[in-house]
Amino acid sequence: MNKEHFCESCIAALENTSKIYKTGDTSVTALQPSTVMLKPNELTLIIGPSGSGKTTLLSLLGCVIYPTTGDIWVNGNHVNLLNEVELANLRLRNIGFVFQSFNLIAPLNAIENVIMPLRLLRLPESKAREKALEALEKVNMTDKQKNLPRELSGGQQQRIAIARALVTEPSLILCDEPTAALDTKSVSIVMQELKSLVSVGKSIAVVTHDNRLKQFADRILYVNNGFVSDTPPEEEIFT
Amino acid sequence: MIKTAYKFLKYDKPKTIGVIIGIVICTFLIGQQVGILTFLTRLMGGLIDNSDTDTAQIWIVDKITINVNELARLDESLVREVRSVEGVKNSYPVIVAGAIATFSSGKTVPVTLIGSEPPHFSAGPNTGKIAEGKLSDLVLEYSISADYYDASTFSNTTDLGTELELNGKRAFIRLQTIDARGFGGSYIYTTVTKARFYANYPQDKVNAINVSIKDGYTPEEVCNSINKTFPSVRAWVTNDLKKSTIRFVVSSSNIGTSIGSLVIFAIISGFFIIGLTLYSAAIDRIRDYGTLKAIGATNQYITKLILIQSFISASTGFLLAWMLLEGFRSGVAKGGLIFSLSPALLVGLFLITLIISGGSAVFFSIRTLKNVEPASVFRN
Repeated sequence: MNKEHFCESCIAALENTSKIYKTGDTSVTALQPSTVMLKPNELTLIIGPSGSGKTTLLSLLGCVIYPTTGDIWVNGNHVNLLNEVELANLRLRNIGFVFQSFNLIAPLNAIENVIMPLRLLRLPESKAREKALEALEKVNMTDKQKNLPRELSGGQQQRIAIARALVTEPSLILCDEPTAALDTKSVSIVMQELKSLVSVGKSIAVVTHDNRLKQFADRILYVNNGFVSDTPPEEEIFT
Repeated sequence: MIKTAYKFLKYDKPKTIGVIIGIVICTFLIGQQVGILTFLTRLMGGLIDNSDTDTAQIWIVDKITINVNELARLDESLVREVRSVEGVKNSYPVIVAGAIATFSSGKTVPVTLIGSEPPHFSAGPNTGKIAEGKLSDLVLEYSISADYYDASTFSNTTDLGTELELNGKRAFIRLQTIDARGFGGSYIYTTVTKARFYANYPQDKVNAINVSIKDGYTPEEVCNSINKTFPSVRAWVTNDLKKSTIRFVVSSSNIGTSIGSLVIFAIISGFFIIGLTLYSAAIDRIRDYGTLKAIGATNQYITKLILIQSFISASTGFLLAWMLLEGFRSGVAKGGLIFSLSPALLVGLFLITLIISGGSAVFFSIRTLKNVEPASVFRN
């Protein structure tokens, strides 16, 4: 089933997409039919309370789950039509992930974590190392390249995670609560780094509870009870 | 990927050590049991293994016997009659008889006397199994052989010149064999005449006839001719009689079942010990595997990563087990339990190790990790 791309200028787009989780006889609608467009040179903040559907929205944009209804497009690929291997390949080449708990591979040191996506892309080892070092330089972490994740602070781990997310030069970077485990100083460093990526044409989506991040946003999406909106709900979601 | 797999193993040392210990125990037990079985099967065919390969190309025994350790009596006249069969070069009488050996210490031990004719001594011992003395020394008066490894059974030295009694008759050890032993008894080699003398064996009987064949004939052809000419006996190609003996003893004594079940239990316990430890290690690292999937690794990549870890563990475990087996082998060899870790045995053992390790990895870890959703990394 070939379908026409409804947003050619978007890096990622959801078109009337919903997600319903089924457990036995129980169905939970995590995301109501929603249309979301992520464009280049944009840092989009996705804000909402716990259980509102933010993570589901991020998972759909990140192509780690299939939608129940609607369509998903990433860099011109109609995600609904791809199988699991093709999805993995799409994520590898087009999407960078930054997670709340950093999710660095514990047995690998900093540079090996950054090299990992390039190894998956089967880049020659010398070329991969060169690119990984460049990515570490961008986040000022070359001096920690040999350290294991457990030997790094939360802020340092998140910067390594950012280096890993951008080493394949993806057009879309998705961040799940990237500052939740960080102190104020680290929050500023991490967000400045993410913001700098927007200026080189990338689209960044950041899921957060953190009010402090609003200052970095080009656009804010509010998620509440599975509904996505450009305007804040009547009741301010932050306390 | 090998380096990444190695780092995963190195990071989780306790589990890796657990897996390797499981592999070492399992591989060692299998190797040990197979080694002992090899030793026992060699003993089962010992009478044939110790014989002279040039003059004992064919064994003629009674029609019923399928086990060389249970020989009935044949008429001595057959030894000469067989020579008339086409393809037979020569034939030699063999006597196998029980006797009681009494040593100067007073200890008495049942032994098996094996008599064959000089100068070839077709029934053995073959020259490769002579430790001290000369084969021709067996023609001397009261001269017999004894085996180096039987010293502990005899509680007496088996050195040349040792005096003993066989069924109350004087004898001297003039030839010392090494590992020329059989299943369930100490072998004493001598001439046909002396075997008859010591065992009070009838002059007109023999237990077997060894046959050498003329050039241009195969043992199978000559066997067929003998069997057609003398329907009351059965001629065997030497190696066939050995195989038949081993098959018979292994099945009738339950040695095969006993050792086989030990090996199977070692494989099963190894499979579960290794598999559950690998599973536990995989569960500990499930977040890492989920992250790998989220950033673009396929199930194929995860499978390879786990299998390489299992291969590294299996190889390390196998090498350690091999060292232990060598230690065990040299330790028990001093007591006469001799087996070799042949290349075929080692290759087989390594393949079994790989199958146990890889199979348990697939069964326990890979199945679980294949079901890890990449989306799980978004849940804390």
